[in-house]
Amino acid sequence: MKRPLTLAVIGAAVTLLAAGCSSGDQGSDAKGGTAQQGGSVTFAMPPNATPNWIFPIGTPGHLASFNGSIRQEVFLPLYTYDGTSGTVALDEKAGVAKPPVYSNGGKTVDIKLNDLTWASGQKVTSRDVEFWFNLVKANKAQWGNYNAGDLPDNVAKFDTVSDTEFKLELTKAYNPDWFTANQLTYVTPIPQAVWDVQSAGGKAGDYDRTTDGAKKVFKYLTGEAGKLSEYASNPLWKAADGPFTVKEFTTTGQVTLAKNPKYTGPDTAHLDSVTFKPFTSSDAELNVVRSGGVDYGYLPALAVSQSKSIENAGYQVKPWNGWAITYIPYNFNNPAMGAVFKQLYVRQAVQMSIDQSTISRVLWHDEAAPGYGPVPQQPVSKYLSPTQQTNPYPFDLNKAKALLTSHGWTIANGVASCAQAGSGATQCGAGIKAGTRLKFTIDSQSGSTETDNMMQEVQSSLSKIGIGLSIKAEPLNSVLDHTAQCKPSQSSCSWQLSFFGTAGSWYFPAYPSGEQIFSSTGGTNLGSYVDPAVDDLIKKSTSSTDPAALQDYDAYVTKSLPVIWMPNPAYQVSAIKKNLRGVIQDPLANIQPQRWYLAK
Amino acid sequence: MTRFLAKRIGQAIVVIFFVTVIVFLLLHSVPGGPAHGILGPKASPQAIAEFNREHGFDKSLFQQYWAYLSELFHGDLGESYTLNQSVASLIGQRIPKTLVLTGLSTLVALLVAIPLGVWQARRRKGLADYAVTTLVFVGYATPVFFLALILVIVFTQKTQLLPPQAPQTQSIAGLFADSRALILPVLAGAIATVAAFSRYMRSAVLDNLAEDYVRTARAKGASERRVVWLHIMRNSLTPIIAMLGYYLPVLFSGALVIESVFNYPGMGLLFWNAAQTSDYPILLGAVLVIALATVIGSLLADVLQALVDPRVRGAIR
Repeated sequence: MKRPLTLAVIGAAVTLLAAGCSSGDQGSDAKGGTAQQGGSVTFAMPPNATPNWIFPIGTPGHLASFNGSIRQEVFLPLYTYDGTSGTVALDEKAGVAKPPVYSNGGKTVDIKLNDLTWASGQKVTSRDVEFWFNLVKANKAQWGNYNAGDLPDNVAKFDTVSDTEFKLELTKAYNPDWFTANQLTYVTPIPQAVWDVQSAGGKAGDYDRTTDGAKKVFKYLTGEAGKLSEYASNPLWKAADGPFTVKEFTTTGQVTLAKNPKYTGPDTAHLDSVTFKPFTSSDAELNVVRSGGVDYGYLPALAVSQSKSIENAGYQVKPWNGWAITYIPYNFNNPAMGAVFKQLYVRQAVQMSIDQSTISRVLWHDEAAPGYGPVPQQPVSKYLSPTQQTNPYPFDLNKAKALLTSHGWTIANGVASCAQAGSGATQCGAGIKAGTRLKFTIDSQSGSTETDNMMQEVQSSLSKIGIGLSIKAEPLNSVLDHTAQCKPSQSSCSWQLSFFGTAGSWYFPAYPSGEQIFSSTGGTNLGSYVDPAVDDLIKKSTSSTDPAALQDYDAYVTKSLPVIWMPNPAYQVSAIKKNLRGVIQDPLANIQPQRWYLAK
Repeated sequence: MTRFLAKRIGQAIVVIFFVTVIVFLLLHSVPGGPAHGILGPKASPQAIAEFNREHGFDKSLFQQYWAYLSELFHGDLGESYTLNQSVASLIGQRIPKTLVLTGLSTLVALLVAIPLGVWQARRRKGLADYAVTTLVFVGYATPVFFLALILVIVFTQKTQLLPPQAPQTQSIAGLFADSRALILPVLAGAIATVAAFSRYMRSAVLDNLAEDYVRTARAKGASERRVVWLHIMRNSLTPIIAMLGYYLPVLFSGALVIESVFNYPGMGLLFWNAAQTSDYPILLGAVLVIALATVIGSLLADVLQALVDPRVRGAIR
């Protein structure tokens, strides 16, 4: 492909908007009432969420989404994707740069910066972007978002064209959609003239241009970032270029952002301040919502039935759907059941036994939506294939049972056992010994009534087709510990199925490719799923410039069932004060408080 | 007494040392370590390896424990993995708030329970005694979360007399400045405690009422009020004092449910959340504090009993 590819993402967004694609998930009326300038809003954070990082290079343990939400109001990222346009797309106003221009067959990216200013009065320049790259390159092991081979490894050269323009020479051709949405969104220009120092009170220089210097600068900045109580007073964090600055940042988790009077971009805040309020539990938060103590809160799933009384207290109640999928991975390397899981017909039978509509409607009180494949289904996007949208494996216990019995399984005492060993069309399949019984164990995340009920429903459904399911409930981190990639000979390979999706199993960046979860080399391909065809489709979706590549991957993976597709719970059910307007509930779980306003 | 104290302090040090060993071993016997819990499902293998290296999980268990003990001797409880602060500062923030809550709850409970226990004992087997016993048992049997919920519904939603959450300030002065917001959490904590203490007090007073010295005092013409409040009260307080000593770790470990319902981050929640996320340094620090409170509490209980009761004093010489 020789001609430059421009504005692929914007074009797609416009197309989608024209087609009327909408998340159906708007927050408060975006354009209602007379806007009041100023005012303060209180936003309730998830239970026990404690913001603990503001430095734009997150180290492991500091990558929580609320850290990102707060940080990008103060330090603008190069590019931001969100759902404010009705689908997940580039939000040009919320970033620092104009849309990137790809050339050289997807190997060169040309980026021009918008006219923005740091609080010091200096312009945001290419040098500030280079500074970020230099720090990340020299300290990539400490960067929490680092994946070997991705940013910064895939950038061969940073070429400064001018103060407002630079080029990235990539190590190979990448899909522009993927590179912009899933790589460039990590990049955040940082104030080199203020932060390029190696110690407190030190003189700023070009230390970042040597590896040793960049390490010292990074060490100093991360050290300062560890002092939460100084976030509101340390001059380092005052150097904002975003619509807000930090006014308060307590060690107990309360953060207040104040309107940045020195912001020079097109996305000026309406409100004077936004307070992010920590809560010890969703019950405590609900008590405060009931008394009208927060402007933007949420309801625990069990309280959704009380929506009417919350609405009567002056709120709108709206689900906030996340750009995520929820699933149960199979452990294909489990010594006891791996061979069974490798049979597509078994996976089809299991999938057809999951009554996703009923689970979503009844057990999740309509606050979850069925999911049939590897791409988020809400909001509708250009990445979603017709195959996934039409659900190739609808709930049908009779068909599911027939799939098993037609492949050599006989059901006695409610559990199927293999009567016809072998790899023929009517036999159980390769590696399955005669007498093998279909008895699975699932490690399931504890602490959620909805999840507990869902597991029992799945257990009940599977029992009707001859599959016994034992449920082992554990805290989330234990489930994650036990759900490790493994080899059959390892003791850690004893897990068979795993559920860690009470709040969604996997939140995607804007471009929902599956290289981390479904490629054979994926770091979070927990069940060790291997399919060369999937690897090839994933490679195409991230490296080729074919806009249909991700749909092709989606269609294939939807049908090949590397995991059990499950209903995807909403990120939260929000309670938004009726006079708080301009709220769009972003599927990527970020917020844009600069666009919120109070209606008179 | 001095020998007794020295011996008990020596025992306490040994107990605390063993507590740290056992808790450390238990925590580190969990397969996989805390990396996944802290970094979440999206953590790359490189991030997990870096986390394990940074926190010393790639070293032997003995080396890890030795490093922990060395830091402990230097007064360093380590850094929380999730809260970006030192454990000492976290505990320093939470303990005063927790002590205000649990201390006030206990104080309120005692102020109600002691006179109530005496009053019931003097009317034993009467209608009033049975009625109060029933009420007390209901209070004791009601789960705290349910009790707290009822208080919230009645006082914050139905009548709107009180705020729905505890004071949202970081300073102790701020807590008392917003004292209205303290009423519900203190009340919720006090109700169950009233039940326990009043039953102890009632049975202690009953025991003492049957003693010879009470009959003697009455025979000498002492008024009933004087008999009860001067003679019986002091002797009846012995089990309450003992109980208060053993109650000390409870004061320090916080009131998880109340903290959770009233949005009051104290020690209970700190420990609970650390357990959920495998934040080992916080767990170890909190256990250490509670172990200290336990041994100090039991020592205090013994000493106070000795001061109050000469029979106990004789036994520990």
